[in-house]
Amino acid sequence: MTTVLTPPRRRGRPVRPGTPGHRRPPLFTGAATLLVLLLALLGPLAAPHSPTAQLAAPFQQPDGQFLLGTDVLGRDVASRVLGGGRTIVLTALAGTAAAGAVGMTAGVLAAMASRRLGDLLVRCVDALAVLPALLVVLVLAAGFPGSAAALVAAVALATAPFSTRVLRAAADTVLNSGYVEAALARGDTRRAVLRHDVLPNIAGPALMDTALRLVASLHLTATAGFLGLGQGGAAPDWGRMVSENVPGATLAATPFLAPALLLVLLSVCVGLLAGRLADTVGRGTA
Amino acid sequence: MNLLAFAARRLAGAAVLLVLLSAAVFAATAVLPGDAVSAVAGVDASEAQRAEVRAGLGLDRPAAERYADWAAGAVRGDLGNGFVGERPVTDVLATRLPNSLLLAGLTLAVTAPLAALLGLWTGLRGGGADRVVSTSAQILAAVPEFVVAALLVAVLAVWLEVLPRVSVIPLGGTPLDAPHALVLPVLTLSAVGLAVATRLLRASVADAAATPYCEAARLNGVRGVRLAVRHILPNAAGPAVQALTLTTGALVGSAVVVENVFDYPGIGRELQLAVAARDVPMVQGIATALVAVMLVVLLLGDICARLLGAREGDDR
Amino acid sequence: MSRQIDRRAFLRRGAAGAAALAVGPGLLAACSTDGTDSARKPGSGSSHRSGGTLRAAFVGGGASETLDFFNGPSALDLVRARAWHGTLGNLDPSGPDGVRYGVLKGIDISDDLSAYTLHVRPGVRFTDGSELTSADILHSLSGLAAKSKLPVYRLAAANFDLARARAEGDLKVVLPTLRPIADGRLILCQGNFLVVKDGTRDFREGMPSCGPFRLTEFAAGQGSAFERYDDHYGHVPHLDGLELRSIADSTARAGALTGGEIDFAHDLSPVTARTLADDAKAELAPTKSPYLVGLSFQLNMSAKPFDDPRVREAFKLAVDREAMVKTVFYGNAEIGNDLPSIGFPDYADGIPQRAHDPERARELLQEAGADGMKVRLTTGPETPGMVETATLFVEDLKKIGVRASVRELPAGQLYADFPAYSALPLAGSYQMPIPALSTYQMNTAGGSPSAFGWKKSGTDALVARARAESDQARAKKLGTRAQRTRWEEGNQVLPVFKPNLNARAKGVDGIPDDLFEQFPGFSRASLA
Repeated sequence: MTTVLTPPRRRGRPVRPGTPGHRRPPLFTGAATLLVLLLALLGPLAAPHSPTAQLAAPFQQPDGQFLLGTDVLGRDVASRVLGGGRTIVLTALAGTAAAGAVGMTAGVLAAMASRRLGDLLVRCVDALAVLPALLVVLVLAAGFPGSAAALVAAVALATAPFSTRVLRAAADTVLNSGYVEAALARGDTRRAVLRHDVLPNIAGPALMDTALRLVASLHLTATAGFLGLGQGGAAPDWGRMVSENVPGATLAATPFLAPALLLVLLSVCVGLLAGRLADTVGRGTA
Repeated sequence: MNLLAFAARRLAGAAVLLVLLSAAVFAATAVLPGDAVSAVAGVDASEAQRAEVRAGLGLDRPAAERYADWAAGAVRGDLGNGFVGERPVTDVLATRLPNSLLLAGLTLAVTAPLAALLGLWTGLRGGGADRVVSTSAQILAAVPEFVVAALLVAVLAVWLEVLPRVSVIPLGGTPLDAPHALVLPVLTLSAVGLAVATRLLRASVADAAATPYCEAARLNGVRGVRLAVRHILPNAAGPAVQALTLTTGALVGSAVVVENVFDYPGIGRELQLAVAARDVPMVQGIATALVAVMLVVLLLGDICARLLGAREGDDR
Repeated sequence: MSRQIDRRAFLRRGAAGAAALAVGPGLLAACSTDGTDSARKPGSGSSHRSGGTLRAAFVGGGASETLDFFNGPSALDLVRARAWHGTLGNLDPSGPDGVRYGVLKGIDISDDLSAYTLHVRPGVRFTDGSELTSADILHSLSGLAAKSKLPVYRLAAANFDLARARAEGDLKVVLPTLRPIADGRLILCQGNFLVVKDGTRDFREGMPSCGPFRLTEFAAGQGSAFERYDDHYGHVPHLDGLELRSIADSTARAGALTGGEIDFAHDLSPVTARTLADDAKAELAPTKSPYLVGLSFQLNMSAKPFDDPRVREAFKLAVDREAMVKTVFYGNAEIGNDLPSIGFPDYADGIPQRAHDPERARELLQEAGADGMKVRLTTGPETPGMVETATLFVEDLKKIGVRASVRELPAGQLYADFPAYSALPLAGSYQMPIPALSTYQMNTAGGSPSAFGWKKSGTDALVARARAESDQARAKKLGTRAQRTRWEEGNQVLPVFKPNLNARAKGVDGIPDDLFEQFPGFSRASLA
């Protein structure tokens, strides 16, 4: 019923034809993102060698046997690169999902509740934003060393406040639009409004926000690896591989460049996708 | 509500938040397994020695009591002494926090004008230039800081040898005494900051340009710089300033990667060291100071936004 | 990067040691000690250029560095203090008592090994012109060192009754022992016992000192500056000045060295050291035996299956020690024999080197019914090479059919929760250079928690007898017997000893001549 109505747009019209909102759907970026994600997730299956076994002298140049050379401990860089994305991607995804869930719930609740209550809720979540993300990551990593769950929690805590804010704003816009008011006036329950009007209409912003959070989560996860706060140990991890091999960059460049480039590629693709999604949804990329 | 009352209300809110968050940080450090005894007494200490050190550090008292003591001292400006090395926490803050503020400030000084220019240009012009700049910004924003830092070091310090690899600051001096040592850290932070800020500004500018008010101005023949400065900027500045302040505040405490790579004497690494040693007074003091800085920056951002005439009802 | 971070606490942990060189635990129970070191007095006629300011970089301890070395845990706190204050003495294999005395003329030991008499070297002057007396030594030892919480000073407190020390006149301090020991000189004169003026409570710039340099500036976490003290009691330094900097990151220290911003870089990571090998401006100067750090793995005997000696032996046989030395340290390390303290006189060097025998290891596991066992090795980046060595150990274990994995904790976390640490089934740790027998008494004897379930009163008794034995040959025999039981049944796998990989600019010389190489001193150093 109410879904038949045209969904409200936050902005009256695009600035000019040809700018955001009128672009093609981000097919290319989407495909590239999917490819990198698949590489990260399925890579371990394609590894030619064991990613942890010491096979040769450290920092050997690339050759037929070791396509990308060997790393600081004489392990196969190619196998480690293939194996090193999964943890990062999964941790970042889990963190984003958790943050998204928190943000969605808090954001929508804040928007649906009375103004006072909503403000209070947002303020509580905002308090978290004031804590430096690094502090949260450091303290949790110290308390639960090497725990993936702690890292997920830290990532979620650090990014949830932003999601809440964005989603509350989005839900607010929908709720204040004429057609929701009309629906409420017609006697629809708040629940029905939530289900048929609010959720479908904030799906776009939510998706875009999630993509943005995913970039932040990827950064945080990779940085944790780089600072030695992640899972640690022998398991490959792109962030950690960079910090492991950067001191030997003058001896061999591939062990540090390959994971760094993949990390960049992954977050660039996700970031671009987020940007394009945002444009398609018709919102600024705040 | 006039500005003074607004600021006062916000200040009070911030103070309450500061107390709550300091308690939360304390609770977190108290709940975590492990304590500073190993960092102080060494790994080989016997049980009796450990107990003695624990009592010496006051760790055998209930957490609530320790927090109350700490808070009572903090109100008087005494944040206690670190467990490791027994230096007064305020001393450490006094030497390190200004360095971090300097780094964040310089980054802001580099980022804000550039981001404003780029944001205005792309937000108004649209078209090809917009796409190029926006896409580059998105790409740059997606590169993790430590990768930027590593690449900058590799190119500028190791390969071209135009800048020093580490920030060796003259003894007793501040980073300002060795300006060339500041270049790489500021560059690294700015690269990422610029990308984020440009995107934010571009969005606000586009939003502002679409308002009926600006439409009307445009229809009245206002164009170019005049349109940008007189009509768009005041409307776009509010949200943009707030976003910038949030980013800058976060920079103060989160530049730890840059501090590590360039050996910059900032507060982030002190925090990292303190957490590793479970040095509760130090963690507590630094965390509280960072939260306070963040709150002050946010407050300033709010006031700026208000002065710039941000939308009514926008509560940040 | 941050992986170096907690090494600030690292070296200091074992400063207690660095002890005995040539002299066995029992030599010279009572002997004459007059200042026979006149041959080592001011060496102005050396071929090195005098003057200049040497700049050296260390890990440092961030803004919590302190001038109060009795409370500062970082290696740099001690290095700074060594440049600034006079020392009781350093270990020196070529010295008459196995030590080179500093502000002391010598140490006499009573016949029943119950008291040590410290004779003050006359004519030592502080920078304020006053003369050093027994009161200053007494204050430093029983007033400050005895109250220090640092592990460094614990070895002395474990052997001497510092609270009952007393001064006899201006030039004599009498120090009672807690139990008869013959090797006490090596404990007092190991470089870390520094002397400050009587009554000193707080440490600040400008306080009187009697070391080779006087402090002119100190900025915690950044560095400190010194100038030569021309009235120094022993050897007046060649250098005009000294600058000690804190640079936490290993690559950054190496970068500063090759960039000409410093002349000496302390304790680089193996990879960083390797990158310097081809550099024309720098050269490696690794510390020599016995200043080597042992990397070790503790098997927890209080839990299955490590209560079975066959499993413990299998784990020792599984390690490919050569590969570790070659891969992790590029050959810059020595192979270990599952016993700590290589290079010290009481180290049991007569015990044969353990072989690498994965076949036998597999059989032993099968006999013990532990083939296919699952174990997780926990370690952390507390010293360069630690995690890498653990990673290779786990791969070796996989090869004998153990389902092993490694868990790496963030820097500083390994020992933070000590009860959790000492309950680990398999832990990767390290051993500082400390003489074998005193380290056993401190860390392993009496079922201490860091012994991981090792409890053998027979071995404890053997070690105590060896240390109270004045006859050197007999002491060595007893000590070797004790260590043999550790080698055969013990729960420690110690595959590698690694040096501190220091590096210096070409032409810098004389740093090892100051002894106590872990915490380098610069009183005899010179620039190119």
